[in-house]
Amino acid sequence: MEAAANAAMRSGLALWRAAKFMYPIALVVLLWALVAGAGWVRPLFLPSPLAVARQFWPLLADGEVVTPLLVSLYRAFGGLVIALAIGATAGLAMARMRWVRWGVDPLVSFAFPAPKIAFMPIFILWFGIDDVSKILMVAFTCVFPIIVATYHGATAVSKIVVWSAQAMGTSEQALMRRIILPATLPFIFSGVRVTVPVALITAYTAEMVAGGGGLGSALMYAQRFFQTPSVFLYIFLMLLSGVLLDQVMLAARSWLIPWQIEEEA
Amino acid sequence: MKGLVQKWGAIVLGLALWELAVVSRAVDPGFLPAVHTIAAALWDLVTAGEVWTNLFATTYRALIGLAAGTAVGVLVGMLMATSRAANGFFGPLVAMTYSLPKASLVPLFMLWFGIGDLTNILSVLLATLLPVVVSTYHGVKAVPQVLLWSAQAMGSSRARILTRVLLPASMLHILTGTRIALGFSWVLTISAEMIAAKTGIGKLIFFYGESGAYAYMFAGIIAIVAVAYAADRAMVWVIRDALHWEDSADAADAAGAG
Repeated sequence: MEAAANAAMRSGLALWRAAKFMYPIALVVLLWALVAGAGWVRPLFLPSPLAVARQFWPLLADGEVVTPLLVSLYRAFGGLVIALAIGATAGLAMARMRWVRWGVDPLVSFAFPAPKIAFMPIFILWFGIDDVSKILMVAFTCVFPIIVATYHGATAVSKIVVWSAQAMGTSEQALMRRIILPATLPFIFSGVRVTVPVALITAYTAEMVAGGGGLGSALMYAQRFFQTPSVFLYIFLMLLSGVLLDQVMLAARSWLIPWQIEEEA
Repeated sequence: MKGLVQKWGAIVLGLALWELAVVSRAVDPGFLPAVHTIAAALWDLVTAGEVWTNLFATTYRALIGLAAGTAVGVLVGMLMATSRAANGFFGPLVAMTYSLPKASLVPLFMLWFGIGDLTNILSVLLATLLPVVVSTYHGVKAVPQVLLWSAQAMGSSRARILTRVLLPASMLHILTGTRIALGFSWVLTISAEMIAAKTGIGKLIFFYGESGAYAYMFAGIIAIVAVAYAADRAMVWVIRDALHWEDSADAADAAGAG
């Protein structure tokens, strides 16, 4: 009896939370529907929410949703994986080897605040306008935050732990594998979590700038032909992909490093 | 002197290797122009003045957008931190739109406002708004309750508490958020210019790339990266100078832009 009542209360609470979260969004959509419905602006500039929703099925049927989305995701993830491999290695090496720090540190301090998208024409020149230039553009954008996060984590490992291990004759290799890497892992993960939206945003932006498939160029194409409902739809798809990926990353963290529960914003 | 060698040594070495690789024809100069060619192009751009008007257009858009985004962001963040109703309303909207690439709004704004400053500034505004909202919110929430109670006990009005207690006490958070937003403002301006613009350094770089003037393209990229770097350093300097009484002001240096 009590269990059932509890469950009912919990689902009621969840429902209440969801309603509380959704109401501002519903309000904005309602306002949008009112403005569009009142006929103050031409549908070419602001189609009604219904017109945008209706556009979804034809686009899906034409294969103009799934394929571009997968292309963009592939580019974002490909770039992220490369950035993670290079960034984590460089960050760890910087923390342990002085000459690596000497070489990489100035590069990072100049490149970190630079607007990386400005380098897009170089990537186009070197790698064309297909997948490779976009994947490497994403990697270039994401690698610096990951280097910084990794280096920060690896240097935060308690000196006493490191000295103790060395005093007991631990080799540099074992030290890295058994102490530094596990201690740095949560930092690397935080770095990756921060860069996931960056990877996605960079992939979309690079596609908008350079074309060559993906949601970004689909969006530009729709705009060029004044297919405004499709423009809105592609923007929503980009928004949803970002929100969903962040949820995936949250789930991945509690699965990968359950001992580290970060303070949530 | 030793610090200088340490900081610049690697960069000088890198540039020397680059120059050597191209001059010795190990790397095709059509692929990667030599350092001295790029330096000459940069000198040409700077003295001929072609780069200045475009740099100015870009900087103007980025900074106006940043100023507007910061103003609105501080307002919304303050509201969210001091009123539950405002938090309930803006919270979900911020959470939903945080990971939206703001550049995706450029085509929409182009449709509404045409190609030009307004489209560009609006997209910068939206991109810089959210980091400022979030950092202001956290900054105000982190103000010690004792300060509020003391001010209230001494009979300060709500408006006075807002401007004289909450705003200064959360300034470090706000400025740190603004520094992140500053980074976003360059990215958005350049992206928007590359997508569609008549002026601006993003447009200029792309134009050089398309017409095969690669040394000039590299020089343009160096110019805008240098401006963005200087702006970031200036921001750090302002944070330190304005908040010299705050112990953690130096820590702001550790946080950075994307």
